[in-house]
Amino acid sequence: MEVLDRLGITWQLLLSQIVNFGLLMLLLRMLLYRPVLNMLEQRKERIAQSLRDAERAAQAAAEAEKEKAAILEEARREAQEIRAQAAREAEKIAQEIRARAEQEATEIRVKAQQEAEAQMEAVLMEAKKRIADLAIAAAEQILGRELANREEHERFVDEFLAQQLGGTP
Amino acid sequence: MFGRTADRLRTFFSVPRNRNITLLVLVLLVLSAIIQVPEPHVSLAAEPILSQGPRWLTNSLVTTLVVDVVILAMALAAVIGMKEVPSGWQNVMEMLVEGIHNLTENVSGHGTVWTKRFFPWVMTIFIYVLVSNYIGLLPGVGSIGFYHPAEGAKKEAVLVEEVAQDPDMGDGVLAASVPVGAPAEDKAKEVFIPLFRAPSADLNMTFALAIISVVMTQVFGYQALGGKYFKKFFNFGGKGFLGVIQAVVGILELILEFAKIISFSFRLFGNIFAGEVLLFVMAFLVTFLVPIPFYGLELFVGFIQALVFMLLTLVFFTMATVSHDEHH
Repeated sequence: MEVLDRLGITWQLLLSQIVNFGLLMLLLRMLLYRPVLNMLEQRKERIAQSLRDAERAAQAAAEAEKEKAAILEEARREAQEIRAQAAREAEKIAQEIRARAEQEATEIRVKAQQEAEAQMEAVLMEAKKRIADLAIAAAEQILGRELANREEHERFVDEFLAQQLGGTP
Repeated sequence: MFGRTADRLRTFFSVPRNRNITLLVLVLLVLSAIIQVPEPHVSLAAEPILSQGPRWLTNSLVTTLVVDVVILAMALAAVIGMKEVPSGWQNVMEMLVEGIHNLTENVSGHGTVWTKRFFPWVMTIFIYVLVSNYIGLLPGVGSIGFYHPAEGAKKEAVLVEEVAQDPDMGDGVLAASVPVGAPAEDKAKEVFIPLFRAPSADLNMTFALAIISVVMTQVFGYQALGGKYFKKFFNFGGKGFLGVIQAVVGILELILEFAKIISFSFRLFGNIFAGEVLLFVMAFLVTFLVPIPFYGLELFVGFIQALVFMLLTLVFFTMATVSHDEHH
C-alpha cells in the first residue's frame, strides 16, 4: 500500500474516476451516440430512398419516352393517312371539275355550232332574198319595165336560185 | 566557393520575410538565455490543490471535471440543432462517432449484438482519453498554480525522490535527470503545485479505465459464453500431463487478466506523464522554439495512446466473446 500511496493512488479517487467514466458514458450515450447514430441511420435511409426514387423517376422517364415515341408514330401514320385521303379526294374533285369543264366546253361548242348554223341559215336566207331582189331589179332594168306579175317573178327567181345553189340553204 | 555562398545568403536575406523570421529566431534564442523557466516540478502523484484542504481534491480531479465539461460541450455543440445536411462541428463529431462505430463493427463482427454493446464503452474510452491527453498540452495546464508551504511539499519531494530511486518503478533515469526535490529547498521551503494536471497523467484515472476495461471484458465474456467463460481460467477437468498443462495455462490466463490492468494503466500514464516531463525539461533547457517539435510529438502520442487504449479494449472484448472451442 506504500507503493500505491507514492503513486498517488487512493481508492476514493479511483472510485471517483470509475463513477465519472460511467456517468460520462451514460451522458454521452444519451447526448451524442444515440442522436448521431440515429442521424446517420436516417441519412442512410434517406439516401437509399432518394436513389430508389431516382431510379423510379428514370424508369418513368424511359416509359414516357417510349409512350411519346408511340404517340408520335401513331400521329405520323394518321397524318400519312389524312394526306393520302386528301390526295385521293383532290384527285376526285379534279376529275369531276375536268369532266364538268369538258362537258361545258362541249355544250358551248355545240351551242356555238348551232348558233353559227342558224346565223348562216339566216344569212343565206337574207342573201337569197337580196339576190332575188337584185335579180328582179336587174330583170326589170333589162326588160325596162316593171314586171306585172311580181309574185310570179319571185317564184321564178326562187326556183332558179334553188336550181343554182343545188339545194344547199 | 565562398563568394557563391555569400551571394546565396544575400539573396536569401534580401527577402523581408526571411530576414524577419531569422531575426525573430535569433531574438527568441537570446531571450531563451535571459528568461529562464523555473526548474520543473515533477510529481508522480496528483497533488491536492489546497494545502489545508482535503487530500482528495487533487489537480487531476479538477481537470477531470474540466475534461467532462469539454466533452459534453463538444457533444452538445454537435447535437443541438442537428441537421440532416451536416455542417461544421456536427461533421467532425459525426466523423468521429461513425469512424469508431465502423471500427467496432469491423472488429466485433458485422450483424452481431456485440457492436451495439461494445460501442459506448469503446467510444467513451477513446474520447475521454483523447481529451485528457490533449488538455495536458494546453498552455497553463501544469504551469498555473500556487506555491504551497513546504511541509507537505517536502514530504512529497522526498517521496518522489524515493520513487525515483526505487529501481522497481523503472522511472529512475527520467526522474534522476531532473532535480526533483530542489524547488522545495530553493524557494524558501515552498513548493509549486499546479492547478491543473492532465487526468491521464494521474494513475487513478488510468487504473480506473484499465479496471473498467478488464472488468467489462469479463462481463461480456460471461454474457457471451455463460459459465463456460470462466473455464478459461479454471480448467482442471483434463487428465494426465495435458490436464496439468491446461490447468497451468488457465492460471496464467488469470494472471494475464491482472497484468492487463497494469499494462493498460502504466502504458497510458507513462506516455502522457513522460510527455509532460519531456516538455517541461525542453522548456527548461531552451525556453523558446526548441519545445515546439516536442509539442507536435506529444499531439501524436496523445492520439496514438487514445487509439491504442481503445483498440486493445475492443480486441479484448471481442476475444472474450469468442468461444475457445470454436478455434479447435
